Amino acid sequence: MLPICVTQDHIGIWVLRRSAPSFSEVRGRKWKGEGTTQNLESIFIGRCYDYIRIVNPAVGEKNCSELWEAFRNAFINKDPCNILPKDYDLFIKLAFHTIPANKSLFWENNQLLVKSFTSGARRYMSLSDALFGFVADFLIWCGQANSTGLDYESCPTMEECENNAVDSFWRMASITYAQHSSGVIHVLLNGSAEGGAYPVKGFFADYEIPNLQKDKISKIVIWVVDDIQGPDRDSCGKNTVKILEDRLKALGYDVTCTDNYKPVLFLLCVDYPDDSNCILSSSALPAQRRPISSDRGGSWNKLMFVSLVGFLFRSASEY
Amino acid sequence: MPGSRRRQRGVLLAGIALLLAALVLAVVLASVFMPGREAAGGRPLRWQDRGTTRNLREIVLGKCYSYLAERHPALGRDTDCLKIWESLKYAFVYKNPCNTTAEDYQPLMELASHPIPCNKSLFWSKTNDLAHRYTKSSHGFLTLEDTLLGYMFDGVSWCGDPSAPGINYESCPKRSECESNPGSVFWKTASKRFAEAACGVVQVMLNGSIEAGAFRSSSIFGSIEVFNLNPDKVSEIQIWLMHDIGGPQSESCSGHSIQRLKRILEERNFTITCEDDYRPVQLLQCVRNPDHEDCRLCPSSMETS
Repeated sequence: MLPICVTQDHIGIWVLRRSAPSFSEVRGRKWKGEGTTQNLESIFIGRCYDYIRIVNPAVGEKNCSELWEAFRNAFINKDPCNILPKDYDLFIKLAFHTIPANKSLFWENNQLLVKSFTSGARRYMSLSDALFGFVADFLIWCGQANSTGLDYESCPTMEECENNAVDSFWRMASITYAQHSSGVIHVLLNGSAEGGAYPVKGFFADYEIPNLQKDKISKIVIWVVDDIQGPDRDSCGKNTVKILEDRLKALGYDVTCTDNYKPVLFLLCVDYPDDSNCILSSSALPAQRRPISSDRGGSWNKLMFVSLVGFLFRSASEY
Repeated sequence: MPGSRRRQRGVLLAGIALLLAALVLAVVLASVFMPGREAAGGRPLRWQDRGTTRNLREIVLGKCYSYLAERHPALGRDTDCLKIWESLKYAFVYKNPCNTTAEDYQPLMELASHPIPCNKSLFWSKTNDLAHRYTKSSHGFLTLEDTLLGYMFDGVSWCGDPSAPGINYESCPKRSECESNPGSVFWKTASKRFAEAACGVVQVMLNGSIEAGAFRSSSIFGSIEVFNLNPDKVSEIQIWLMHDIGGPQSESCSGHSIQRLKRILEERNFTITCEDDYRPVQLLQCVRNPDHEDCRLCPSSMETS
């Protein structure tokens, strides 16, 4: 019983939840994107308390209602196409906590994979594992001018306007995350992504790299991992990855690069255990799934049937 | 003579005063040192485990709405998260935490239940971390903690108290203090229902590296779930017997406790299969042990470094 494949996000977090609206939905809708997530405030505040009480109590006490107010005030009662990253300054200030050294994990074109990779393990803390990313992950929100309400019908997409509430949030969060990363920095890229593993225009390129603090960083480790059964479009030392490596080296960083980093490869293999790239040498023989229900007549019946068929075959061939 | 009588009365009064003081001291000491006893002035009972999670209401509501938004948008139309919270409160607030019954949770269970797709139920015993990493990485399967009910309450704790405000934030009873505590009864009741709802091919992930045996009758799986699977709905039970990478091979599919499990299930007319180190899950184990010799990959076309 093979599990269903994990689908990879190739477009970016801010488009993940946007689906094409039906005709009846388009009429009367201001924007092309999906509207604000239902019960946004409850989800946001609930996640905040979940984080400080259960997920990562080490960050200490936070006033989650205050955090929500600061978040909300960044975009409520404003033109939804004129929200800037700095509008989230107060939210970031209240939600902030240090990122432990050597745990930062940056990424492009593999959001769900990163979520699986960091889940449960304390080994890495991606932006979505920090409080200020955790509360907003996979959510959509926007307000409207001259109204204190959230727009649940539709929200602007990146194409409609760059300075929308969601994208400006993630810019601010990415900037902050990069500024406070230290020690060994990891970057996970998708070697099968169309357009290249390292998008020269993207969150990592435009908001994270420029905000890394050189004096706090000892090394940058790049992992380029191809999709199982996906094309090998990019790898270390080639194409866009070479562009990235050169850029970081020019900035003065100590850079290493690894193709198909094994821990991540194993994670992708969970959905493709029989792929030639995923065979463990210790289990090169197919696993024996043994029925252990004896004396129910099953195995005896099978034996009799096979014997009968064999007998018939032999009789037929002798004829 | 008046002087001696006054002295006698004085001694008597002093004696009574001393007795009273000793009594008060005894009561104070008893309330401080005896567990589960009520302290002076309506303070909650004292137990040995962590108390109710603070901001439980916000956490439960947030998880409820979050689950509906992320996983089952179709569910959202009928599921009322506020009602769910109220039904949880009904189950434990102002109640003595050692008298919890399955009936207390009936309304909550009804409100939070949702259909489970067939062939997707994953049971587990002594494989908590691995089973949940698996369901998070591979979106086919559901453990109890991946259903709405399990998701809302995983990791939080709660218990009531007869004194105001009816919720004990300081401590809650451990199982050793009383079996019928709110947490234990909740998970037992939820597990029973999860087993009852399972259909088609059912999976169970067991730990073959524990000395005490992979299948234990004292576990929730062994004492509750096994007996609440429905033979009219469940066609087959697949056992995935996992061993720690580099860990002991305490038991394999032909081992004693697995044979015992087989007998119990056969008696109830189930078909069972068993697989040692089910490969997709073993690959997941290798994520954390990439350099172990059991995790060596066959050479392939993919360049790795």
